Amino acid sequence: MRRSDLGEFEEVVLLAVAAMDSRAYSVAIAEELEKETGQTVSTGAVHAALQRLEQKGFVRSALGEATAERGGRRKRLFTVTTLGGRMLEEVRAVRNRLWERITPSVRLDWQDPFPG
Amino acid sequence: MMPPSLLTRLIGWLCAPDLREEVLGDLHERFVLRARREGEARARRRYWRDVMSFMRPSVLGRPRLRMPDPAMFRNYFLIARRNLLRQKTLAAINISGLAVGLASCLLIVLFVLHEESYDRYHANADRLFRMTTEGSIAGKEIRIATAGTQAGPALVRDYAGVEATVRLYREGTFHVRKDHQVFKEERVVFPDSNFFQVFSIPLLKGDPKTVLVRPNTLVLTETMARKYFGEQDPVGKTLTMGTRGLFEVTGVCADVPLNTHFHYDMFGSISSVKMRDKWLASGAFTYVLLRKGYSVDRLRAEMPGLVRKYVGPEIQEFLSMSLHDFEKKGDRITFGFQPVTAIHLHADFEEDTEAQGDARYVYLFSGIALFILAVACINFMNLSTAASTERAREVGIRKVLGSFRSQLMAQFLSESLVVTFLALFIAVDLVVLALPAFNELTGKQFTVGVLTEGWMPAGILTGTLLIGLAAGSYPAFFLSSFRPAGVLKAAAATGKGNRGFRNVLVTIQFVVSVSMIAGTIVVYRQLQYIQNKKIGFDKEQVLVLHDTYALGDKRESFRQEVSRLSGVEYVTAGGYMPAGLSNNGTDGFRAEDEEQRQSVPYRMKTYTVDEDYLPTLGIQLLAGQNFKTRGNPDGILVNEAAVREFGWKNAVGKRIRTVGDGTPESRRLLTVVGVIRDFHFEDMHHSIRPLVLLFGQDNYQMAVRVRSNDLTALLKQIEAGWKRRTDSPFGYSFLNQRFNALYVSEQHAGRLMGVFAVLAVCISCLGLFGLAMFTVQQRRKEIGIRKVLGASVAGVVALLSKEFLKLVGIAILIASPLAWYGTNRWLEAFAYRVSVDWWVLALAGLLAVVIALITISFQSVRAALSNPVQSLRSE
Repeated sequence: MRRSDLGEFEEVVLLAVAAMDSRAYSVAIAEELEKETGQTVSTGAVHAALQRLEQKGFVRSALGEATAERGGRRKRLFTVTTLGGRMLEEVRAVRNRLWERITPSVRLDWQDPFPG
Repeated sequence: MMPPSLLTRLIGWLCAPDLREEVLGDLHERFVLRARREGEARARRRYWRDVMSFMRPSVLGRPRLRMPDPAMFRNYFLIARRNLLRQKTLAAINISGLAVGLASCLLIVLFVLHEESYDRYHANADRLFRMTTEGSIAGKEIRIATAGTQAGPALVRDYAGVEATVRLYREGTFHVRKDHQVFKEERVVFPDSNFFQVFSIPLLKGDPKTVLVRPNTLVLTETMARKYFGEQDPVGKTLTMGTRGLFEVTGVCADVPLNTHFHYDMFGSISSVKMRDKWLASGAFTYVLLRKGYSVDRLRAEMPGLVRKYVGPEIQEFLSMSLHDFEKKGDRITFGFQPVTAIHLHADFEEDTEAQGDARYVYLFSGIALFILAVACINFMNLSTAASTERAREVGIRKVLGSFRSQLMAQFLSESLVVTFLALFIAVDLVVLALPAFNELTGKQFTVGVLTEGWMPAGILTGTLLIGLAAGSYPAFFLSSFRPAGVLKAAAATGKGNRGFRNVLVTIQFVVSVSMIAGTIVVYRQLQYIQNKKIGFDKEQVLVLHDTYALGDKRESFRQEVSRLSGVEYVTAGGYMPAGLSNNGTDGFRAEDEEQRQSVPYRMKTYTVDEDYLPTLGIQLLAGQNFKTRGNPDGILVNEAAVREFGWKNAVGKRIRTVGDGTPESRRLLTVVGVIRDFHFEDMHHSIRPLVLLFGQDNYQMAVRVRSNDLTALLKQIEAGWKRRTDSPFGYSFLNQRFNALYVSEQHAGRLMGVFAVLAVCISCLGLFGLAMFTVQQRRKEIGIRKVLGASVAGVVALLSKEFLKLVGIAILIASPLAWYGTNRWLEAFAYRVSVDWWVLALAGLLAVVIALITISFQSVRAALSNPVQSLRSE
C-alpha cells in the first residue's frame, strides 16, 4: 500500500466520510468541508473524489432513501471500508511521527515569521 | 424553488445514465440548501459552477454511438443497391445531378485555393510586406505599387524593427543577345542582392548571398537558362542585355511559381543600373521584411516621421512649398504596407508587377459553388421524399419487425452516402474531362495532380461525406417517421404532408437559377457595352509594331519605307498606346495665369506623340490645330477633360508650366495649340482623365493605320523591311485585340458565370423533371378520370404545370431584387456601365419559366395523351 494512493483532497474527503459515520454523502461532505475550511467546495469535486476512493476500495456505497430536497431522487451513502480505515490510521501515524520531530523552538519561529 | 431547468437538462443529458439520479439529486439538494441560506440569486450562480464541476470524464456518459453489426451494414448497402436499380430514372437523376454539382464545386475549389495560395509559400510570408506610395494630390487618389528607390535603404537605416528590404527595379523590356541570336525579354528585373534570401525562390546554382552582388551579374530561371544555353551550365557565361552591356550569369533559380504576384525570369544585379534617386520619382517595388514580433502597425505609425524627414524637402524642391502648406491644401502623401500574401487579391495599384486577381471573383465563385451544391442536394432531398410512397411499405414492415427509428435513419443515410460517393466518382472523372476547358476559361493552368496533393483527398472525402449526410438527413428523418399502422393499412397519401417543404426547396433552386441567369446576362451586356462603346479613337485596322527602338538610327528610313507601302495610310511613333503595352508618363502641371500667382499643380497623364498620331488613331481634333512637322516644340494638345480640369473657356493659346524635377531648367513653359476629343486611353474602370499630348518622337513602338484586304502580304512586306535593318525579333499586334485584352478577367468571369449558370439550371431542371414524374405517377387515376369526363389535353397539361409554375413565379419575385443588387455591386467597379434594366430580370425570369415548362412538359404531355383506360383498368 503506497502513500501516493491517497491524494490530499481524497484524504480529507475520506476523513469526512469516517467522521460522518454512515450519513456521509457528497452534498453533506461538501457542505461540511466548506464549513470547516471556509473555502467553497464544489459538489462535483467531492463526487469525483468519492468515485476514486470507491475504485481504490477505501469506501463502499449504497443507495439511500429518496428525499424531497433532492427532487425525489435517492442519494448515494458512503462508509469507510477496513482498507480505508487502515489507510487513514497509517497516514495519521506518519503525520504524528513527523509532528513529534518538530522541536518547540522551531514552532515558535513560525508563530511570527517576520517579527517587527 | 427549482434549479435552472436548462442546465439541469444539459447535465442530465450529458451524464452517464447510471449516475444521473445521484448527480441530479446532489445538484438539486445543494441548490435548495444554498437558496435557503444565501438566497435564490446566489444559489443560481453557484449552481452553474456546480454543474461545471460535474463535467468530468468520470461523470459524463460514454458516447452512446455503438457501431452496428457489420451484417447490418451489408444489409444497408444491399438494400441501397436494390433501390437504385429498381428506380433507375430516379437514381440517374440523383447521381448525375450530384455529380455535376460536385464537379463544379471541385473546379471552383481548385480556382479559389489557387487564388488564395498566392505568395503563401515564402518562408517569411507572414512578416513580408510591400511598401506602396499612397496619397492624394489635388483631390485625386494616388495608389502606386512602388516606393521611391531610397525608401528601402532608409527603412533599414532608421527602424530597428525592419530586418531587411528588397527593391525590384524595372527597366522595361530588353533585347537579349547571345552570339547572333536576339530575343526580346519582357520579364527582366533588377533586384537587390538579398532577393533570394528574402523570397523563397530556390537557387539551383550559385550562392544566394553573393549571386547578385557584383554589377552586371545575372540570375536566370531554369527555363531561361535552357532557352539560351541548352543543357550547358550557364554559370560563368555571358549575355548582352540591350544597351546595358555584357552580363555574366552567376546563378540559376527555379522558375517563379505560378502563384506568385510577379513572374520575372531574368534577375540582374541592382548595382548594374542607375536608378532615379528621388523619393517623388517613380521608384522600385520595395519589399520589407520585419523582425519577428515587430508589428506592421508600428511601422505604419512611423510613416508621418519618415515623410517629414525625406519627402518634405523634395516637396519644397519640386513644388516650392513646405510639407505643411502641402498638407494644409488637402494634399497628402504617405506610404502603405500590404502583406505580400494580399497583393494578388487586393491589388488596385498603379504600375503593379502584373495584372492581379480580384478578391470579389473569389467570393463570387465560392458563393456559386455553394449554391450549385445546394441545388444538387435539394434535388436529392426532394426526389427521395417524393418517392416516399414507394418506400412507405418497406418502412412499415421494418418497423413492425422491430426496427428502431435510428436504424431506419441509418439505413436511409447509408443510401444517400452510396449515392453521393457514386456521384463523387463520376464528378472526379468529369473534372478530369473538363479541366482543359476550365483552364481555358480561367486562364490558369491547373493539373489533375492538384486533387491528389496534400490534404485535398481527405478534404474531398470528408466534404462528400458531409454532403451525403446533409442531403440524406431530411429524407432519413422524414421516411423513418411513418407510422406502420397507417402505411400498411391502406395506400396512405404519403408524400403529401411534406409538399410544403418540397415547394420551398424547389423555389430556392429557381431563385438560384434565375439570379445566375440574370447575372450572366448583365455581365455579357456590360462586356458588349465596353467593347462597342465609342472610345474616341478608331481601334480597327491599326497595326502596332513592337520595339522599334531596336532599329536605332535606321528607324526613320524604316518609317518612310512603311509609309510608302500601298495599303498603309499613316505611320506614327506609337510609344503611347491606349491599350496594351505602352509607355507611361505622368507629370505635374501648373496653369500659368496672368496674375502669376501660385496655383495648384495638377498631376496629369502625358503622351509624347508626333504629328501623325491623331490621324493614325482617328482621334478627333475639336479646336486649334494638330502638331506640325517643324512646329513649335513647346506646343501641346490637351483633351477635353484637361480643359475642364484647368477650367478654361477657350483653351487654345493658354499656357501651362511643368513642375519638372525641381530644377528651374526642367520647368518648361508649354502652349496649348489644340484640343482633342476625349478618348479612352485607360480602361473603362476609370473615367477619362485629363491628358496632355507633348510633341516629340517616341521610338518604343510604331503604329500603322492600314487599309488593305491582304494583311498577310502587307505584314510580310513590313517584316522584310525590318529584317533588312536589324536582327532583333519582329513583333506586332492589332490595336483592337490589345483593346479586348484589357477586359480579360471580366471575360473569364463572364464565361465562367455563364457555364455555371447553365449547370445550375440543368441541375434544377433535373430535379423538376423528377418531381413532375412523381406527380404524374401519383395523379394517374385523377388524370384518367378527368379525361373520361372530357378534359382536353391542354387542360391536363395546364393543370399539371400550374403548380410548378407558381413556384417558379415566386422564385422570380425573390430572385429579382437579389440579382439587381448583386449585379449593381459588380457594375460599380466600372466608370462606364450599363444599367440593370427591368427587362433583364424579366428575360431571366421568362427563360426560367420556359425551361421549367419544357422540363415539365416531358411528363405532363405524356400523361395527358395517355389512354385513360390504361390508368383506370387496374381496379
